[in-house]
Amino acid sequence: MSLFRRFAPILLAAVAASAQGSGPASWQNDLAPISAQDWNAEFAAHLLERAGFGGTPEEIQALAKLTPQQAIARIVRFEGVSNAALPPFDHSGIHDPGLEPFPPSRPAVTDMAKEKGEALGIKVKAEGNRRLQPIVDKFFYWLRASAMETNRVAYWWTNRMLTTPRPLQEKMALFWHGHFVSNEAKVRDYRKLLAQLELFQKQGTGNFRDLTVAVAQTPAMLSFLDAGVNVKGAANENFAREIMELFTMGVGNYTEKDIREAARAFTGWNYVDMKFVINKDQHDDGDKTFLGKTGRFDGVDVIDIIMQQPVTAEYIAGKLYRYFARQDLSPELQKQLGAVLRQNKYDLAPLLEKIFLSRDFYSVASVGTRIQGPVELVVTTYKKLGLKSVPGVPDFNLVTGGLGQQLFSAPTVAGWPSGQSWITPGLLLERANFGRDVLFPDISFLPPDRYTGGGEVRRVADRIRRGMDISTATKDDAKTGDMAESNMNADRDEDFNTRYGSFRGSQLAIERVKALPRDAANVNLSQMILDAKVQNTTQAVDYLIHRFMRVPPGTDAKQKLVAFLNKDLGTTDIAVAQTYMEESLRLVLHLIMSQPEYQLG
Amino acid sequence: MQMTNRFSFSRSSRRELLRAGMYGVCVTAGAGLPVPVFGQAAAALAAKGKADGKILVVLELSGGNDGLNTLIPYGDDAYYKHRPQLGIPKKELRVIDQHFGFSGGMAGFERLYKDGKLAIIHGCGYDNPSFSHFTSMAYWHTAAPNSGEEYGWVGRLADTMAPSAPPNYLVNIAARQSLAVRSQKHVPVVFDDPNKFSQEKFHDEKEVLDTLPENGKIDNPARRFLLDTAKSAKDASALVREAWAKYRSPIDYGITGLDLPKVVALIDAGMPTRLYYTSYRNNAFDTHVFQEDTHKRLLTYASDAVAAFLKDLERIGRANDVVVMVFSEFGRRVPENVNLGTDHGAANLMFVAGNQVKGGQYGAIPSLTKLDEGDNLIHTTDFRRVYATAVERWLGLADSKDLLRGTFETFDMFRA
Repeated sequence: MSLFRRFAPILLAAVAASAQGSGPASWQNDLAPISAQDWNAEFAAHLLERAGFGGTPEEIQALAKLTPQQAIARIVRFEGVSNAALPPFDHSGIHDPGLEPFPPSRPAVTDMAKEKGEALGIKVKAEGNRRLQPIVDKFFYWLRASAMETNRVAYWWTNRMLTTPRPLQEKMALFWHGHFVSNEAKVRDYRKLLAQLELFQKQGTGNFRDLTVAVAQTPAMLSFLDAGVNVKGAANENFAREIMELFTMGVGNYTEKDIREAARAFTGWNYVDMKFVINKDQHDDGDKTFLGKTGRFDGVDVIDIIMQQPVTAEYIAGKLYRYFARQDLSPELQKQLGAVLRQNKYDLAPLLEKIFLSRDFYSVASVGTRIQGPVELVVTTYKKLGLKSVPGVPDFNLVTGGLGQQLFSAPTVAGWPSGQSWITPGLLLERANFGRDVLFPDISFLPPDRYTGGGEVRRVADRIRRGMDISTATKDDAKTGDMAESNMNADRDEDFNTRYGSFRGSQLAIERVKALPRDAANVNLSQMILDAKVQNTTQAVDYLIHRFMRVPPGTDAKQKLVAFLNKDLGTTDIAVAQTYMEESLRLVLHLIMSQPEYQLG
Repeated sequence: MQMTNRFSFSRSSRRELLRAGMYGVCVTAGAGLPVPVFGQAAAALAAKGKADGKILVVLELSGGNDGLNTLIPYGDDAYYKHRPQLGIPKKELRVIDQHFGFSGGMAGFERLYKDGKLAIIHGCGYDNPSFSHFTSMAYWHTAAPNSGEEYGWVGRLADTMAPSAPPNYLVNIAARQSLAVRSQKHVPVVFDDPNKFSQEKFHDEKEVLDTLPENGKIDNPARRFLLDTAKSAKDASALVREAWAKYRSPIDYGITGLDLPKVVALIDAGMPTRLYYTSYRNNAFDTHVFQEDTHKRLLTYASDAVAAFLKDLERIGRANDVVVMVFSEFGRRVPENVNLGTDHGAANLMFVAGNQVKGGQYGAIPSLTKLDEGDNLIHTTDFRRVYATAVERWLGLADSKDLLRGTFETFDMFRA
């Protein structure tokens, strides 16, 4: 705090003087490095915003005191910075060996049970009604428990984003998480998703070729892209297609035949539980012709041939640029960036340094033009609020999911579309509502990891507790007219009851998955304002705008904010209002977070 | 670009104006009429909504629906040869004629077909098909394969029908805006959960929050976009929320109604919306492995939802004003794969359902023996013919040539 006190007057002066600093328009498309004279707190703030999750004034000042080379080296070459204080993920202990291999669907489980007399480590009940029920219960138990534990992994990760001394490590992990996509809905095993995330954290700024090979061998990806069922004689193309189309080259740079040939090379790749395996007898060892080369290629050979294509370096460098700098990228600039990556044999750190040091990165075209994704928006907000952990209220995953980016739940294999796609009229309003939920926590909050399962599950639970039999308890509420076909199906089978299984699985999952802490955000805006030596309401609004926004709202909006604060406090003098100003300041901050410009980072 | 738009605008408005009984205005107007007058007329038309507003709803089945296991050609032995494991035997089908039967759970579609309210269009696709979800979907979204077209076909349709871009003309119910509705002039109303489509505000904050966002010249394009979106949100959110709050329906939509109940709620509330876009989300139909149960379930849900949608429209007395068009970005490979699933394919079925639809089958049935080199169905019907049919014969635009970047023969598919 004391460090910031010294700089506070300077910051306020900067706000008064101009908008957020950026270099001249002539810097656009210029990859030449900025000089030490160019470097200032505004540039440092921009760097932290993009290479990490924003900065507090203290963090920004610490970075601004370095030279740009030092600052960027500290961000990119973070290996020397210890993150030993960050705890490893704390497993609830929900998995057992009977669950492996987990069948693809509920019907597959019950078919297996009928055939073998057991499934998921549970034997079919000897006699009586609903003999398969315990197995169906366990199937739903794992679906629910894995999804809930995945939400705990997301909390663990976002706490790292918020508190890590290596912000780029987590920011890159987030990039790869949206690039090499897999999701919980299909993989249905938090352990596989966690292992993949840890790979992104470990190798995210390393070598792209090595990362691609390693990711392609994670059970999460193998499972997500059905690689495990790609076998000799009948190749499944999903894996090969997405590796080329989405992960390395981009569409249009290969033929359908290349895909089929690559799929053959990947035959036999599979996983057993958490281990990558190659089933030799399912691998097609014959000659393949892929991207103009012929040989008895395997999957790694295919990846190496992909890496030889200049378009691969350009594709990935361009995507990184869009993530860190800006959406519109000229083909020439993309070629230059691709060349940097290729010259460094796909080592990512030199490219990242080049980007973060470039004039283009600080040009008016780049600064304050990026629409933040939901996870970035939320973590950045917490960071600027000075929070030391991610609040349990509101629920992080519900908030970001509602805004279109729930971690481990990318909508498709293409990940999350970015830029303007993050925003719709509906989502813009929801973003403002997030601000309100943080600053004024909902006193009726129900934790989704306890109050779980959706309306139907709760209805069944309630009826069972009241002593109803399973058939009656799981029946639909009467609706007029014809019953929809799908609602008739739900009650048909007598070996088990799916709705009861869904309820019972949720109950078992709550019992086993550890609860998330549900503390609300510990915010103290009054102290923040007093520490900044702010004297009047205009300065207070300026301070909050500068601390929380990269692009300030228009003059009119700002005047309205000041007028609002004056009215709410009954004075323009902070010293007069300091004992009662917290709620008013929070209202102002909520209004700031409701500005369309708040989305820009 | 500018010229094209103005031209298609004047033509389409003439038709609108004719229907609205403002012929005189139009005759004196000609193509050179100042925009404001047109704007007012279009706004008036849009505001009238109920009376003359034919509505088009597009439902996307994302992921590549397996058309061959949706409407099963049980009368063709080749089908069972290609699909020894996944082929569905006749006894499990809902047979509609000598050749075809719907998948077992599709009671809703079977009923619609037998009631003469469902058009099945065979063999829909395009030349040089892409087998990538994203690329092929983009082609369907833009109605412009291999072109890099920036705007969606539904968005361009809105631009043509209502160039003055009155609010709430184009609605996309989704977590994310679809490329299909991307428009040059309209800011589509995009929302997911109507209950959340609201700015929650404390009493004292209202004055500040109700201020319209800045309208001056803004250099930062991302900022400009955000300000425009904020305005659209202010225009639509209260209407949508009220409509949803009022909506009560006894109709059973099944396990998931998709977003179709929301569409009924908005229509019933008199929203001026003419174009709705929704989807069965998240690549659900991408059934590479063990597809039998999954696919049957997906079809059951979709079929339940569409059938209930028409019933619900009947209930509110608007069944004659709405048709729903159903498509997917591609069909699946004709032969099954070894994982009891199917891979990305090409030509596929489309469906158009509604009270005013002349039920039946359109387009030539693609051959199951003459496949392309990748074992895919060869398309017999350019999918844009179905778009053109909806645009010209349902929505009543004089032609769809500019809109669809070409002339596509239409089907005689509607009663009115």
